[in-house]
Amino acid sequence: MAVANAALAMVGGIGVTMLQRQRNQLYSFMAKNPLGHALLRSRRDFSARSSSSLLPPDVSRLAETARIALTPDEVEEFAPKIGQVIDWFGQLQAIDLQNVDPALRADAESNNLREDLPETFDNRESLLAAVPTYEKPYIKVPKVLNKD
Amino acid sequence: MIMASICSRVVFSRSLLLCPSAFLTRRNGALFCTMQSSGTQTVTKGEMSKTPMEALPRKQTKVHEGMLKDYEAVIGIETHVQLSTLTKAFCSCPYMYGSQPNSTICPVCMGLPGALPVLNSKVIEFAVKVGLALNCELSLNSKFDRKQYFYPDLPKGYQISQFDIPIARNGFVDLDLPIEFGGGHRRFGITRVHMEEDAGKLLHSENGTGSQERTFFYKLSPGLGSNMKCFAMVTEFAVASFQYFDSIVDFNRAGVPLLEIVSEPDIRSGLEAAEYAAEIQRLVRYLGVSNGNMQEGSLRCDVNVSVRPIGQLEFGTKVEIKNMNSFSAMHRAIDFEISRQAVLHNEGQVDEIVQETRLWDEGAQRTITMRTKEGLADYRYFPEPDLPEVSLTREYVDKISASLPELPEMKRRRYEKMGLSMQDVLFLANDVNVCNFFDAAVEKGADVKMAANWIMGDIAAYLKNERFCINEIKLTPEELAELISSIKNGIISGKIGKEILLELVAKGGTVKAIIEEKDLITDPVEIEKMVEEVIAENPKQLEQYREGKTRLQGFFAGQVMKASKGKANPVLLNKILLEKLNANS
Repeated sequence: MAVANAALAMVGGIGVTMLQRQRNQLYSFMAKNPLGHALLRSRRDFSARSSSSLLPPDVSRLAETARIALTPDEVEEFAPKIGQVIDWFGQLQAIDLQNVDPALRADAESNNLREDLPETFDNRESLLAAVPTYEKPYIKVPKVLNKD
Repeated sequence: MIMASICSRVVFSRSLLLCPSAFLTRRNGALFCTMQSSGTQTVTKGEMSKTPMEALPRKQTKVHEGMLKDYEAVIGIETHVQLSTLTKAFCSCPYMYGSQPNSTICPVCMGLPGALPVLNSKVIEFAVKVGLALNCELSLNSKFDRKQYFYPDLPKGYQISQFDIPIARNGFVDLDLPIEFGGGHRRFGITRVHMEEDAGKLLHSENGTGSQERTFFYKLSPGLGSNMKCFAMVTEFAVASFQYFDSIVDFNRAGVPLLEIVSEPDIRSGLEAAEYAAEIQRLVRYLGVSNGNMQEGSLRCDVNVSVRPIGQLEFGTKVEIKNMNSFSAMHRAIDFEISRQAVLHNEGQVDEIVQETRLWDEGAQRTITMRTKEGLADYRYFPEPDLPEVSLTREYVDKISASLPELPEMKRRRYEKMGLSMQDVLFLANDVNVCNFFDAAVEKGADVKMAANWIMGDIAAYLKNERFCINEIKLTPEELAELISSIKNGIISGKIGKEILLELVAKGGTVKAIIEEKDLITDPVEIEKMVEEVIAENPKQLEQYREGKTRLQGFFAGQVMKASKGKANPVLLNKILLEKLNANS
C-alpha cells in the first residue's frame, strides 16, 4: 500500500506533466523516503543514467510500514513490479536542470483558496451506501492491532 | 500526529469481557496497551496495574521529594488547537461539535477518488494570527505535505500537514505563574506552528467482537484508491496480519483544521506546563481562532518529559504523556512523571526509563504505560501534490498584524501599570470576556480597583452560581461604572450598591432608575430629623462619644441607617451626624 501510495504520488504529482522543476520535488521527496533515499544514495550526481542501476526496493520494509503482510514469495513477485514503476520515474533523471531554479513546489501559481462558506454535500447517501458496513449513524471499521 | 480520541464513555472494559479469554492471554501487557494506542482514556485500571514497572506508590514519590532537587525535568509540549472555522480545512463541509455522526462529510474529506482539496482561506488567516501572537517568524512561502500512516480514522491513508516548512517558527510566549504557586514571569520558546487536518473520531462499539472482513479497511481507505490499479494491488495484498474486531468511526471531524504548536523544551515543571497550556488557550480565545475547549478536544496537549541530573547537558530519555484533559491534570501528571523518573535515576535504574507513551490515569493519579515507542515512526512525508504552495504577501501579514487584539501578556502588563495587584491582574486577564467587560467599565469612568473588586467578588460569584458567562448577564459595563461612581460619591451605601448590583445583574435596568425606585432618602431635612431622633434615644453613647470615644460615630451612623431602612444617603448622613455629635462640645 505504501508502495502504491508512493508510486501514486509520483504519478499524480510528477509523472504526468514532467515540468522540469518537478524533478527537484521528486528528489526532495525521495530524500525523505526510505526507498527514495536508497535511490538517491546511488544517484547523487543527478545525472542521466540508465534506470537499471537503481537499488531494488526493500519490499518487506515497505509492506511493514503499510501494515501489509507479505510472504517471501510475494515479496519476490512484487519487487520487480515496483521496481518497474520506480524505473519509470528514473526517466526524470535524464532531464537537464542546469538552468532551473530550485522551487518549493512544482506549480507556478499558488494560493488557490476558498472562502469559509459551509456547503452541505448533497449526495451523502451514495457516499455512505458505498461503505461496506455502515450501521447508522456510524461507520464500522475493523480494529487494528499491531503485531509488533 | 493526531491520535484518534476515544469517547470517554466507551465501554471498552465491557467489550473486553466479550472477548475470548484466549485473546488476553495471547498478549502481554504492552501489547494490550498498543491496541489502545489511539485511545486517550480507556485503559482500565485492572489492566494498568499488570504492567510490572509501574509500581511507584504515591507515598514513595513524596518521600523522594527532597531528592528531586538533584534532578531537572525537561519538558516540551505539542498542542493541537482546533480552529473554529465554519468549514473544514480542505472542503466546504460545515463542522459543528456534537452534530449527528457522519453527517458532515463529502468526497474530499472522505478521500474519494478524484476529489481535490481546496484550502480554506480562514485557516491561513488564523495560522498567521497565532504565528504573530506567538512572536514567530512567518514563512511567506510554505507548503503542505502528506504524512502517511494507516489508521481507520484517517480516510485518505495520510494526513495533510506541514513538514519541513511550517507556516511559523522561532517564537515565544510570555506568562505569569499564579501567586498561590509563588508567582514569577516565564518566557517559553515556540519551535513551530503548522497547519494540518484532524482525523475522524474512533469509538469502540459495544458489541463488536468478530468482523473478519479482511479487505474492509482498504476499501474504506480510498486515499490509496484514487487510482484503480493501486486499489487492485491492495486487495491482493490484504492478509491477516491484524486482529480485527469492530470499532466505529465518526468522520465529521476528519479534515477539520488544526494548528499544531510545538514548544521548545524550556518547561521545567508540571506547573509551568499547565500554565503554558492555559496561556495557549487564552491566546487562541483572545484571537477568536478556537474555543480552546479541552473537554471537547478542541485543545489537546501531548507532553514530552525527561529528567536529567542537574548539570548534565544531554537530555534524559523522553516519555510522552497523553490523556490529560484539564490543566490541573497536566500539572499533576507531569509532576508525577518527573518524580517517577527521578526516583529511577536516584536508584540507579535509569535503564528502566524507556521511550514510551504513557497515559495519565486520573483515578489512580499516576501515569501508566500505553505503548512503548514502535521504532522510529516512518511517515514518509512528501509534498502534497494536490495543493499549491501557500504564499503570504507582506501586506497581508501587516494587515493581520494591525488587526490583532490586545493579547493576554500585553493586557497583564497594562493592568499591572494601572495599579492592580498581580492577583487581580491574573484573574481579570484570564478570560477575554471578563477583560472586555472590565475595560469597558473603566473606559466609562469606573474606579479601577473598585471595578476589579466588584467583578472578582459579587459578579464572579453570580456567574459561578448561575453558570453564566459575563456576556450573558444583564448588567452592562456602563451601569457598573455608574454604580461605582454612585457609591464613590456617597449617593448610595456599599450595602445598597450590592443590592442594586444583584438586581442589575439579574434583571438589567439602570442604576438611576433603581435608586429612584428604592426611594432613597436624599433630603437633608429628613435625614437630620432621623439623626436627632437617634441621638436623643442614645444619651449614654452620646456622652461616651463626647468624652472622646469617637469610634461611636459608627454606631450612630448604623442606627440612623437602620432607622432609614438603609435608604439614607450615606454621605449626607455622616455629614449631618458629625455636625450634630460635635454640636455642643
